[in-house]
Amino acid sequence: MKGRIFNRRTAVVVFAIFLVAYPFLVGQSSYFMGLAAMTAIFAIAAMSLNLLTGYGGQISVGQGGFLMLGTYTVAVLSAKLDMPIWVTIPAAGMVASVVSLIVGLPAVRLKGHFLAVATLGFGLSIPEIALNWKSVTEGYSGLPMTRPDAVSSDLAFFYVILAVTMIVTWILLNISNSRLGRAFLAIRDSEIAAAATGINVAGYKTIMFMIAAFFTGIGGGLYAYWIEYVSPNDFTIMTSFFLLAMIVVGGLASIWGAIVGAILFTVIPHFADVYVGMTNLLIGVAVILIILFRPAGLISIGEIFRKNRKGQNTKAEPERFEQSSAKEVPDVKI
Amino acid sequence: MLKFDDLTVKFAGLTAVSGLTLDIPEGRIYSIIGPNGAGKTTVFNCISRFYSPTSGTIEFEGRDLAQIKPHQVIGLGISRSFQNVELFSKMSVMDNLLTGLHSTLSHNIISISLKLPSIRKTEVEARKKANNILDMFGLTRFANEKVENLPYGYQKMVDIGRAIMVNPKLILLDEPVAGMNAAETDKLCGLILHLRNQMGITVLLIEHDMSLVMKVSDHITVMNFGEKIAEGTPAEVQQNSAVIEAYLGEVEVDAEA
Amino acid sequence: MEQIIVSGLIFGCVYGLAALGLVLIFRTTGLVNFAHGEMAMVTTFVAFTFLSYFQLSFFISFFLAIVFAALFGIAIYFLLIRRVGDASHLNQLVLTLGIFLAIHGIAGLIWGHTPASFPRALKGGPIQLGPIFISPNELFVLFVTFILASTLFVLFRFTRVGLAMRASSQDLTAARLMGINVNFVFMVTWASGSILGGIAGLLTAPFTFLGVSMMYDVLIMAFAAAVLAGFLSLPGAVFGGLIIGVFGNLVSYYWAPEMALVCTFVLIIVVLYIRPQGIFSAPEAIKKV
Repeated sequence: MKGRIFNRRTAVVVFAIFLVAYPFLVGQSSYFMGLAAMTAIFAIAAMSLNLLTGYGGQISVGQGGFLMLGTYTVAVLSAKLDMPIWVTIPAAGMVASVVSLIVGLPAVRLKGHFLAVATLGFGLSIPEIALNWKSVTEGYSGLPMTRPDAVSSDLAFFYVILAVTMIVTWILLNISNSRLGRAFLAIRDSEIAAAATGINVAGYKTIMFMIAAFFTGIGGGLYAYWIEYVSPNDFTIMTSFFLLAMIVVGGLASIWGAIVGAILFTVIPHFADVYVGMTNLLIGVAVILIILFRPAGLISIGEIFRKNRKGQNTKAEPERFEQSSAKEVPDVKI
Repeated sequence: MLKFDDLTVKFAGLTAVSGLTLDIPEGRIYSIIGPNGAGKTTVFNCISRFYSPTSGTIEFEGRDLAQIKPHQVIGLGISRSFQNVELFSKMSVMDNLLTGLHSTLSHNIISISLKLPSIRKTEVEARKKANNILDMFGLTRFANEKVENLPYGYQKMVDIGRAIMVNPKLILLDEPVAGMNAAETDKLCGLILHLRNQMGITVLLIEHDMSLVMKVSDHITVMNFGEKIAEGTPAEVQQNSAVIEAYLGEVEVDAEA
Repeated sequence: MEQIIVSGLIFGCVYGLAALGLVLIFRTTGLVNFAHGEMAMVTTFVAFTFLSYFQLSFFISFFLAIVFAALFGIAIYFLLIRRVGDASHLNQLVLTLGIFLAIHGIAGLIWGHTPASFPRALKGGPIQLGPIFISPNELFVLFVTFILASTLFVLFRFTRVGLAMRASSQDLTAARLMGINVNFVFMVTWASGSILGGIAGLLTAPFTFLGVSMMYDVLIMAFAAAVLAGFLSLPGAVFGGLIIGVFGNLVSYYWAPEMALVCTFVLIIVVLYIRPQGIFSAPEAIKKV
């Protein structure tokens, strides 16, 4: 590692400094701060989905529903019950988490395509319920939101969102690299071996849904405070599709992949939305290209550069192994 | 230590295991052999609680296994390796081994989320143990390699290594040397003996490689068509006519050499 | 009440046809085609183009659109699906999502986002049969559904191509070794699936609208029907569709239109939880470790 100017830790620190300075780099423009805020919120949702799908192998095509649960929890609690932000945001997470049991419990029995269909149904249902449950959600009219006085300016609230995003990123990193993250990966790769190793597969599947929903709900809550208005159109099934696209294109089982995906797919629409339909087309094409030609995601391109620099090439390794096993047998020291 | 009492396992009309009664003593190497389809792996899967017996019981140290769930088996002190190498293919060798220790680590979500010192400490200890096992198998240089990139023989070793991580009381090895060459088989033979002699682990072995079975086993049970047809020491089993018939067909009195 | 059931059955026919396409594709190629609805939407638009731009008659446009659907299905299979045969479930699924988005986007760019109305196959006012009123167009839907479903069932069960499809779904390698041209079988499957979806679209549009989001509701209902069929049973897909259609319509009328979808979702969850193989299929065999 000597002589390496550019490594991961440096990159992260530089990125963090950039984010903190960002509002001033864009002249405190509401538009650009909003772009970054949305990216941060989608990054939270994408990282959460990544924990569930990338690590845990549970396909969820309805994650947008949890964002909406977050927005409405926050809106109802603050607009109708006058609760402060430090109550509403965690509540958003908890409500999303509890509701996730509706898909999390069946998920224990469902695999692959069936789980996808079930979560699709969930993702489509939430906006419909929001539209219909007028007594609580005011249906089509939506609910207005106000930010707390202390952080009511765009600049101030941008930093609130940034701070929360960084904390959530840190927590999710810790979870991913822990025994819990390994247990999720184990469930993804072999439920049988996981059970034989003492992992309560059913319990953990439920837990991973709850964790993912919790942080996504928080993201939704932040969104509500930023936009200062909540409606049933905020997060549709398209959002759920975009979230999946983010983590697959960015790279599964990689926190940074999710962040890259979130940045890409929040920035593209802002330029492509000029032509209606162009966004969908571009994102769809990106997904298709990645799946066909680089299924490991964009982040794997970075991996290749790192490995090449170390003088190693992953593809050649298996051949070397085959040769060596014929000649020298590992010395089993007994 | 492990007792089977009239164990019968049926799958929709097919009887995989019929009336099996066995008593596996502690601290010994016990082998189950028999032609393919004899029901051996089914027995293992019952111990692992992936299948539930149709009738009969399995007792481990006096506890009826029928009460527990698959993920609780390792908590009793029983771990296993798999015939088809059920590894976490996309994880590294090190991570596979570390996952082996899952049942012994505490899982407080708050401590994990905040990466408290207690978590860091146990991770370090777990890694040390994994490195010992890698050393034992001579696989240290593959520690960070994705398991699916390794040749089959090494994968089997990682599978067994993962089962050893928890220092089990009883280890189930399902065809551990299938697909290995003579040198690797020899080394694994030494490992199995090491498990009994140095580590005090009871070994229950399913295997087709007869030389290995005869070399390491204290006791052998032979199964065919789901039933026990013979049991005894290696020497006794080798002489048993029912066993010879099961493997080679009927012995003709005037058979040509 | 009977009227609601009857009109539910009509919608159910459409769901059933779409579900039939989904189940056919899944059963043969093992892939759930999330882009099914969008492909159907394009086919419907193509028909509309023949109708309005080229001023062709309804049935000629219908026929040409079906030809298009077949070619479209083959193209999608050949260019895209074929390459991910060995990929993980997630990757295959996301590919179809990507196709969904791409088609949705292109359709929006070509045809715009303003909904239009689509002409009916058979004009004419409602006929009264006992307590219910049914229009000629609705009868047309029933008729087409019945013909298609039975034809497909016969083809699948009793012809060599059908046999080849079933063989491929059970064991791809064995099928290849038996001399079955798997590529050809899959092409036929995707063509058929696309045709079924396209017809579902063509039958829906006169009742609802022609627009890029026209198939959203149909798609989820088709999925629900496919779930009831366990993604396995072809007749089950059609009956599942009818059940969902009636169920959805009842909820729509007695509660609220939006809740039809929610209740269908709850129904799916309940069915999947209690009987994952669907209500029309036999329990799955035990997987040995």
